Amino acid sequence: MNAVNPYKTFVKQFFLSYGCSIIDDLPSHFTIQLTSEMDEEIMNRPFYWHYMKKMNREGDPMRLTFTDTDQKQAGGIYLHAGTPKLHTLYNTAIKKGRTARLYEVIHEFTAQNRAMSPWLIVNALLHYRGKQTKDEPISIGINLIHGTMMLGMMEKIQHMDFEPTVSDYTFPMTPVISLSNAYKRMERHIETYIAQQDNQWIKESLLHLKQETQLLESFYESEDIDLDSFTKEREQIDNRYKPYIEMEVINGGMFYISQETSATWIH
Amino acid sequence: MIEIHPDQSFIPTLSENLNHPDKLAPWSGFKLAYQAAKFKTVPKFDGLLALDHLPHVDFMEHQVEAAETVVHQMNGRAILADEVGLGKTLEAGLILKEYMIRGRAKKVLILTPASLVNQWIQELNEKFYIQAASPRKKQASWEDWDVTVTSIDMAKRENHKESILDIEYDLIIIDEAHKLKNHQTKNYQFVQSLKKTYCLLLTATPIQNKLSDLFNLVSILKPGYLGNLTDFKKKYRENSQEKDNIQHIHSLVGHLMIRNRRKDTGLDSSKRKVVNERLSFTEEEMEMYKKLESLKAGHPSFTWLTLAKELCSSREACYMSLNQLKKNASEENAVVYDEYIEAIGQVPHHIKAKRMTELIEKTGEKFIVFTEYRATQFYLQWYLQQNGITSVPFSGKFNKSKRDWMKQLFKTKAQVMVATEAGGEGINLQFCHHMINYDLPWNPMRLEQRIGRIHRFGQEHDVKIYNFAIKDTIEDHIMKMLYEKIEMFKNAVGDLDHILEQIPGGSFDHQIQSILKQSDSQGEVDIKLQNLVSYVEHTVNERRESS
Repeated sequence: MNAVNPYKTFVKQFFLSYGCSIIDDLPSHFTIQLTSEMDEEIMNRPFYWHYMKKMNREGDPMRLTFTDTDQKQAGGIYLHAGTPKLHTLYNTAIKKGRTARLYEVIHEFTAQNRAMSPWLIVNALLHYRGKQTKDEPISIGINLIHGTMMLGMMEKIQHMDFEPTVSDYTFPMTPVISLSNAYKRMERHIETYIAQQDNQWIKESLLHLKQETQLLESFYESEDIDLDSFTKEREQIDNRYKPYIEMEVINGGMFYISQETSATWIH
Repeated sequence: MIEIHPDQSFIPTLSENLNHPDKLAPWSGFKLAYQAAKFKTVPKFDGLLALDHLPHVDFMEHQVEAAETVVHQMNGRAILADEVGLGKTLEAGLILKEYMIRGRAKKVLILTPASLVNQWIQELNEKFYIQAASPRKKQASWEDWDVTVTSIDMAKRENHKESILDIEYDLIIIDEAHKLKNHQTKNYQFVQSLKKTYCLLLTATPIQNKLSDLFNLVSILKPGYLGNLTDFKKKYRENSQEKDNIQHIHSLVGHLMIRNRRKDTGLDSSKRKVVNERLSFTEEEMEMYKKLESLKAGHPSFTWLTLAKELCSSREACYMSLNQLKKNASEENAVVYDEYIEAIGQVPHHIKAKRMTELIEKTGEKFIVFTEYRATQFYLQWYLQQNGITSVPFSGKFNKSKRDWMKQLFKTKAQVMVATEAGGEGINLQFCHHMINYDLPWNPMRLEQRIGRIHRFGQEHDVKIYNFAIKDTIEDHIMKMLYEKIEMFKNAVGDLDHILEQIPGGSFDHQIQSILKQSDSQGEVDIKLQNLVSYVEHTVNERRESS
C-alpha cells in the first residue's frame, strides 16, 4: 500500500489518550471500545444516555471500527479527509485540549534543584479572508522571565515529555511578564509577520472590491437601483471581497521548561 | 494596513482554567488538539479541497471545472445553467461544500420546488456529508438550522417570512430558478429581498421566453448589472437584429453564467434512439376525426385544433372538451354538440393505446408514457390494467410525499408510469430507459425536457424514445412541419435550444401559441409555422457560416 493513512494514527492516539481501548488491530482495520463518557461525547445519542441515567443503569457504550480502505465489504468507517466522524473527533479534541499547564519531565538528578522557566505557548490559526481564503497555523512561545520569543514552538517540543506535575528536584519559577502582556507581544509579532508577506492576495481583493463598488455606484447614480438595494449590495460586496485576517487561538498554556532544553533552540 | 481581528477570549479562558486544574488538558490532549486543527487547515487559496473530502463521489470534469470557476473566478455569485441531466445539483453541492470547508458558508438556505426538497436533503447527506433540515408544518427554527432546504412557498409564508428575511445567509441556492423570470411576482420580490453573500441560481433554461428572463435572473445576483429593465427592453427590442448588442450582453452574462452542453461534456456514453411511429386511425376513428372538421366553420381555428389534437390522444380527452364547449354555450347552441358527443361514444379503443401495449409487452421493460391530457392519463391506466400491466400515475400536482411514493412504486413494483406534462420537472428516473411520447406537444423543446428525466447523468443504458403520431391528422402535420425539420437542424448545429430561445419577439413556445391563437384558418397556421421554421433554419445556417 501507499503511505500510512495519517488519520489512522490520529484516531488511535485520540481514543487511547481519552481512556478508550483498541480491541482489534489489523492492517486494514481496527476496532475501538468506547468509554461511556466518550460515547456520550461523540455518538450523538443523548436520549439513550438520558434514559440510562434516569434508570440508574450503566449503559452500553458502543464499539467503532475504522478502516483506511474504501472497500465496502470490509465494513467500518472509511478514514479520509472528509469523514464526518473524523471531524467530530477534531472538534472534540480541540474542545478538550484547549488549555494546559505542563512541566517538562526531568529524569536526571543534579546536585542543585533545577529551575524551570515559565513559557506561554499559543497555537493559532490565521484565517486569510478576502476574494479567496486560506488558513495558516502558527505556534508561538514566549519565555515569561526574559521575554524571548520562539516560533514553530510545537514542532520544537513535540517529542519532549511533559507532565501536569512538576518533576522531583525541580522548581517552577514565578513569571515576570503577565500572560496578557505576553499575548499582546504575540499579536504585535503577527502584525509584523503579515506586513512582511507577499500581499498579492490583498491587492487582488482590494481591486475586486473597488471594481465592484464602482460598478454599483454607477448603477446607483444612473438610478438603475434604489438606495435600499444599493446599501444592501454594498455590504454584501464588502462581505465577499474586503480582505482581513482573523486570528483564532486553537489552544495554549503555561509550559515549564528547563533552561538546558531551551538553550538548544537558540542555535 | 490590513485589518487583523484578534482573538480576545483566549487569555481570560486560560487564566480562569489555570485556577481549575481539572479543566486543563494532559500533554497528549494538547498535542491532539493542535494536530486536529492542522488537519482542518485550508492550506492554499486555490483548488477545490472538497474533492479530497468526497472520495466516494465520481465528479465529472465539467462539474469540477464549474465549481472551480464559480468559487475562484465568479466569486460565488453565478447562474449554473447546464443542460438538463448534466448534474447541476452536484455542482451546487460541490460549491457549497467548498465554501463550508473554507469557513465561508455556515448559514445556508436552499430554495427548491417542494417536490425536490427530500431529494436535496438526501443528496446533501449521502454525497456531501452535509446535514440539512427542512421545516414541517409547525416546526421551523430558521435561526438554529445551519443548512435549510425548503420551497419558496413555504419560506414566504407569513409566519416564516420575517425570520428568514432577518437572517444574513452566507449562501443561498435557488433550484429551478427560471421560475423567477417575472420580476413582478411575490416570489421574485421575496428572493430579491433575502440577505445573502453568495448566491447560486440553477436552471436548465436561463432564457425561457425572452431575454428579459435572463435580465431578471442577473438582477438577483447583481442588481443593476444590465442596467434597468425599461432601458434594457428598449435597447434589445429595437436592435434585436443587431449582432453587437446581443454579443455585448452575452459577454456580460458570460461572467456570471456557466452553461455546459451535453455534446461538450462527452456524456454520450448512453445514446438515445428516437423512433417516430406513424399510426393509422381505424375507419371509425377517422370518420370521427373528419366529423370534427365540420366544427371549423362556426368556431375559432384554435377550437378545432384543440379538439383534433385531443382526438389524436384519446376519445376521453376530446369528450371532456366537447362537454366543456357545451356547458359554455347558450341553451340553443348547446344542442349542436350533442351529435358529436354521441358520436364519440361509438369510437372503439384508441389505436395508439393498442400500439403502446404491444411495445410494452414485447420488451417487458419499464416504460414511462407521457401525455398532455389528464383524461388520456386515466384512460391509459385503465387500458393497461385491462391488459394486465401494472402502472402508476404521475402529475406535477401531486404533493411531495405522493410524488416520492409514486416514484418508489414505479421503481420497485409497477412496469409503467403514466405522466402528464406537469410531471416533467424534477424527478429523476434513470432506472427506466424506455419512453413513449403518447401525444406531441407543439414545442419540440418540451420533448427534450421529458427525455431529460431518463437520459441524464447516471443513465447506463441506451435510451429508446417512441414518438406517436396519427397519419393524415394534425399530429402528422406537427411532426412533419416541426419535429422532423427541427431535428434536422439539431443534427446540424447541436445547440438548437440556444437558437430557439433567442427568436426576436418571444421564444419558440411563445410564437407557436400566438400563431395558434391569432390565425383564422389552418392555411394561415401553416404559413406562419413555415415562416417560423424558416427563420430558425436561417439562424442555424448563419450560425454555421460564422463558426
